[in-house]
Amino acid sequence: MNELSASSRITYRAVMVRPSVAHRIRGLSDRTLAWLFITPTIVLLLAINIFPLLWTIYLSFTNYRANRANVPTIWLGADWYQSILTDPDIWAAMQVTAHFVIWTVVIETVLGFGLAYLIDKKFRGHGIWTTIILLPMMLSPAVVGNFWTFLYQPQIGLFNYVVAFFTGRAASSFQMLGDVTLSPWAIVIVDAWMWTPYVMLICLAGLRSIPDYIYEAAEVDRASKWRQFWSITLPMALPFIMLAVLFRGIENFKMFDMVNLLTGGGPGSTTEVASITLKRAAFESWRTGYSSAFAIILFVTVFGLANIYVKALNKVKSR
Amino acid sequence: MTSATTAHSVVEPSATTRRFAGSLVVLYAVITMIPLVWIMLTAFKSPDDAISYPPKVLFKPSLEGFCNLFTTRSRQTPEFIRSLGPPQGMCDDIARSRNMVVAGPSNYVPRFVNSLIIAFGSTVLAVALGTLSAYGFSRFRVPLKDDLLFFILSTRMMPPIAVAIPIYLMYRTIGLSDTRLGMILLYTSVNVSLAVWLLKGFIDEIPREYEEAAMIDGYTRFQAFVKVVLPQATTGIAATAIFCLIFAWNEYAFAVLLTSGNAQTAPPFIPIIIGEGGQDWPAVAAGTTLFLVPIVVFTVLLRKHLLRGITFGAVRK
Amino acid sequence: MSLDVTPSIAPRGLADRILRRGPLEAVATAIIAAGVVMLMQPFSLTLYSWSFATTLFGTVMFTIVSKVRE
Repeated sequence: MNELSASSRITYRAVMVRPSVAHRIRGLSDRTLAWLFITPTIVLLLAINIFPLLWTIYLSFTNYRANRANVPTIWLGADWYQSILTDPDIWAAMQVTAHFVIWTVVIETVLGFGLAYLIDKKFRGHGIWTTIILLPMMLSPAVVGNFWTFLYQPQIGLFNYVVAFFTGRAASSFQMLGDVTLSPWAIVIVDAWMWTPYVMLICLAGLRSIPDYIYEAAEVDRASKWRQFWSITLPMALPFIMLAVLFRGIENFKMFDMVNLLTGGGPGSTTEVASITLKRAAFESWRTGYSSAFAIILFVTVFGLANIYVKALNKVKSR
Repeated sequence: MTSATTAHSVVEPSATTRRFAGSLVVLYAVITMIPLVWIMLTAFKSPDDAISYPPKVLFKPSLEGFCNLFTTRSRQTPEFIRSLGPPQGMCDDIARSRNMVVAGPSNYVPRFVNSLIIAFGSTVLAVALGTLSAYGFSRFRVPLKDDLLFFILSTRMMPPIAVAIPIYLMYRTIGLSDTRLGMILLYTSVNVSLAVWLLKGFIDEIPREYEEAAMIDGYTRFQAFVKVVLPQATTGIAATAIFCLIFAWNEYAFAVLLTSGNAQTAPPFIPIIIGEGGQDWPAVAAGTTLFLVPIVVFTVLLRKHLLRGITFGAVRK
Repeated sequence: MSLDVTPSIAPRGLADRILRRGPLEAVATAIIAAGVVMLMQPFSLTLYSWSFATTLFGTVMFTIVSKVRE
């Protein structure tokens, strides 16, 4: 409605003003202006995201190798997809990813919600401490990964020293990054350190969206605090928790930078999450066709989850 | 605060609860800050202090890390060093005490400058495009609006490595590999989605009546956008710009795969600062510290808008 | 908001009541989730092999279903 009335006003005005550049712009209908405003963005995204995506889909059906561009390209059909989806090594990489995604999301959700619950008690100075807690998530994952390798050094690292101090074991008796059983946890710890604040921030918004009168009513009904938590706080904050869980899930499913710098997928392939496998295939073995197929598999998964995420986003928005 | 007036509400937590919650949160904050503080301390340690066991909390501050970060050095015989004149500057002095001489500047400054150019370039572009589109989506009836908005958001969700494969080939073909322009365009395309969503939220909050009143006063729709909406949206635009800046500043995956020297930014460079016999930790820590300080400042500036930023504008409070 | 208050639509049969966006979206979401779980579960290689097809189907369905009237 507003657009209609506005545009009629524009045409009405246009008659009365002397011709000029402004007049020509004035002559543009809202419809034209809308497209003028939106098209550049769409064109950029088409050029830098969609065109490459279509190219990847094409490549995923061929034997193309980026380091041997002169070899004639052969159409392979769905061969790569079949070989990836029956390859136990890739399946193992997906399980490494699953371990990483599940544990980081669980730890971040529990810690993040707990922190949000505590901060929501509005103690003195909670604003400052919240800002301090938020710092890690703003940092560069790559730089974070790199400096954690320093903290994880068995001989000199602060992490090993602290663990040794509290457990009494020798600091050099374990290697967080070199040990097959410990390294998957090493990446979980760093990710939890970095991204717990993210979940905390969203949960805090959820808790603050619960109106006081509900608690007041519960208080009148003499519901215990415990009861209130399970039947008011948690259910009402749940859409927000879901939003945080979905986003962290998607982000960690495609995690690359932090893990690449911490372990590079090692030792062996114990921390080789999907993106690292993909990077090794694409930029170390130069199996471009093969890695394109793998990229499409990861992309479709992320795209599917993104649909659910946006649905969750709209749900939260309507609150 | 208002605690004095509302202290008797049944919903308000008691003073004990508050103190208990506060101390737990402070404990978490302190623990979470230890790694960061440790890196900043390490930046001011001498190499020996940095790798001592047990880790040293008290140490004699040294700027050797920063010297090693900014210079390259070569090992020389003591005779040769004695034959040189007096040391030129503090860094040369430190180097000579280790039987080395400063050979020249390191690559850190060019990489840092690349980071600055690419981050600012892509931010300006993304915010400009984003503001226009956000206004378009906010005020006009666009066919398939929801689909376009989802399309825009989904491009941000793509796994970076999956995008990097075709971009690598595309840039190689059109000559954009390892150029700042290429990186600026790439980061713009990633950031523009965030910019559109965030700014749409901000612009949605500006009442349409303002523009309509301006248009009744004789402004065109475009003039109303420039003279009424843009000034109203300044805070939103600034917040969005900082988010874009932080993303481009922090980005690593594209940078490490698509640049090798010319356009390399700081994140792929810092981890490969190597001294004699392994990583030169004080230098790495110094590089990290300098790289992180702007982010810390921005985070403090942005604290009121962080929530919006991480939920694409959906959660506003 | 619900269909029942929109008088201009012709009387609906059973299919119309099921083929609404809400339930269909829920089904598509469940299929996507199942595909993702199949991709990362450690139990069966066969399930893993079919994960991509499942996720793809769920995603396509979600996209189509989101066009269905509420």
